[in-house]
This record gives sequence, structure tokens and C-alpha cells, in this order.
Amino acid sequence: MIAREDILRDLMRRSQTGDKQAYAVLLEQTSRWLARFFAQKIAADAVDDLVQDTLISLHKKRASYDPARPFLPWLAAIARYRWVDRLRQTYRHAAEELQDQHSEGSHEDVVGAKISIARLLDQLPAGQAEAIRLVKIDGLSISEACAKCGQSEPLVKVNIHRGLKRLTMLIESE
Amino acid sequence: MTQFNIQQLVDDLEPVRTLRPKQSMAASLIITGAILMLIVLWLGPREDMMAGKPDSMFLLRGGTLLLLGLANTYAAIAMASPSVGRQGSGWQIAVAAALLFPLAALIVTMSVNPAEAISATATGMQCLRMSVMGGLAAAIPMVLHLRRGAPTSPERAGWLTGLAAGGLGAFAYGFHCPFNSIIYIGFWYALAVGICAVICRLVVPRLIRW
Repeated sequence: MIAREDILRDLMRRSQTGDKQAYAVLLEQTSRWLARFFAQKIAADAVDDLVQDTLISLHKKRASYDPARPFLPWLAAIARYRWVDRLRQTYRHAAEELQDQHSEGSHEDVVGAKISIARLLDQLPAGQAEAIRLVKIDGLSISEACAKCGQSEPLVKVNIHRGLKRLTMLIESE
Repeated sequence: MTQFNIQQLVDDLEPVRTLRPKQSMAASLIITGAILMLIVLWLGPREDMMAGKPDSMFLLRGGTLLLLGLANTYAAIAMASPSVGRQGSGWQIAVAAALLFPLAALIVTMSVNPAEAISATATGMQCLRMSVMGGLAAAIPMVLHLRRGAPTSPERAGWLTGLAAGGLGAFAYGFHCPFNSIIYIGFWYALAVGICAVICRLVVPRLIRW
């Protein structure tokens, strides 16, 4: 079970003052929250790396958390930034394509639902969202995606590029 | 993530000073004030201001530019502390209000000889130089604040910083600028704000990406 928002917020406040015990609990709870958060957005074998990247970002940028504000929306913004960054890197370096590994039985709480990446994708033009879903989330190759969505190969590439750029812009303005 | 890695982060934990948005905003405004003073001392203040009877266009222009600068400074600085679902549209309203000047200038230009604005090219270039340089100086605290923070949209942060810089820089220069023509203001001031926005859009994301 993952701690509630108010508990996480208190742990983060104490962590900012250097309380290592609170920080250890916070990181442990946060890593579980992040694993669940990323589970439906990226291949299962990439989740651990992304959780680790996000925790390192949390560590480096912990001064940017405003203790007067809720913790989970701040964490979610950082998580989504790392997620989009990971998608962009994967695209840029033509890395191994991701496999769709929807985890069974995972759920998102109210905050999670609000901030879900699916909602972000819904805000993209249909062609861009479809190209990103097919190639980056479902793990299809460019040519497979072309066959499935009816877009030409250059159009799929352009839609992924533009869609990822727009996702970055949308991160804070859902 | 392994327990070992978490332990590494825990071992590395030091107390941190949380971001102080008000301090960064105040620093930008202090720099703007200092630039305003320098411009007034170096180039001289507007005559109507010295006479205690400021022209209505001067007040309108100054107010709009200050609003543009403040709203965008606030929005840029707020981007250092990201949060999903936070809405902030104040800067958009300020930009829309400021756009009325170039829009009005465009409409007026259609019925009046635009030579008025063109003939003031030398002054206009000075307006441009001073506004851009002053604005970029005022942007320094914003960039430093963003570097400490975690802006999740570096490009947008760049635009906002540039609009803020342009607004504040042009506001400061306006205390010297003797022109009240809508064509002059709509062209040169809009150009100054636009140049600041483009410069910051190109430069700031490289400085704040994390």
C-alpha cells in the first residue's frame, strides 16, 4: 500500500530539512508509486530505469518542491518530464523499440487518473497521438505503424517528432 | 530501483533551501529599477514627466509593459516548481493586452502616412538596443531561478522569460522615450519585446535543461 498524499508531503518536507529516515521512507514509497504510474505507459523492462531516473531527478531537484503545495502533482510533473525525455531519446537514437506490457491489476488513484499520460495524448492531434501510441507505447515498427494507421512513413516520423515536442509543452498545462 | 541505489541517495541527502520565487522576482524588479534610473540619468527623463503632466499614452504604454513584464516574470519563475494541473493564464491576458498596441498601429498605419515611424529609425534603434539590453539584464535572476528549479517545459520557460524581459526592458526605456505615437510604439516596442522573446527562446532552454 502506498502512503497518502498528506503523508508523502510531510515526508518530503522533512527530507528537505535533511531528515534521512524520512527520506528513505519517501523514496521507497515514491518508487512504488512511480512503478505503478509508469506501468501502463512504457514497456515493463523499461519501468525500473525510468523509476530510477525519476528518483535521481527528485533528489537533484528537491529544492524545487514547494512545501505549501501538494506533493504528488509535483512528482507527476517530474515523472512525465522524464517519460517524455525517455521517449525522445528512444526516438532520437533509434533504440530498441518498446514492447507493450500492460500490467495486470494495476490501478491509479484519483491523482493518478487526473495526471495520466493518456489524457496528455488525448490533447494531441489524432494523427500525432496515434503515431506515438503505435510506435512508442505499443512497440510497433514504423512500417507496421504505417500499415495499421494508413499514414505514410515520413508522416508517422513527423507526427512522432511533433507529438513529442507538443507533449513537452503540455506537461504543465493539462 | 534497488534498495542499494535508494540508500545511495539517502546517504547523499543534505538539507536544501527551497526556492524563493518572491526573491527572484524582486531581484528582476530591482534590476529593472536600476536600469530605469541609469537610462533616466544618462539619456534624460521625458519632459512631460518632469513637468508633472505625463501624457496619457506614456501612462498607458508604461502600464501595459509593466503588466506584461510582471505577469510573465511571475509565470516564468513559477515554472521552476512544476505541478501537474496548475493553471496560470495571467501572462496570456497580459500578452493579449500588449498586442493591442501593434494591432492599433497596424490599423492606424493604413490611414496615416507610415513615414512617421520610419523617419524615427535612429531613435527606434536606440529604443531597441536599450530595451533589449535592459530586458536581458532583468532576465538574469529568472534564468538563475529556473536553473535551480525543475522546469518541465524549457521552451515555454524561454518564451516567458523573453516576454518578461522585453516588457521590463521596454518599460524602463519608456521613461526616456519621448514618442507618444501609436505607430512608433506599436512598431519599435513590439519589436523590442519580440526580439527579447526570440533570444530567450533560443538561449534559455539550453541553460535550464536538466
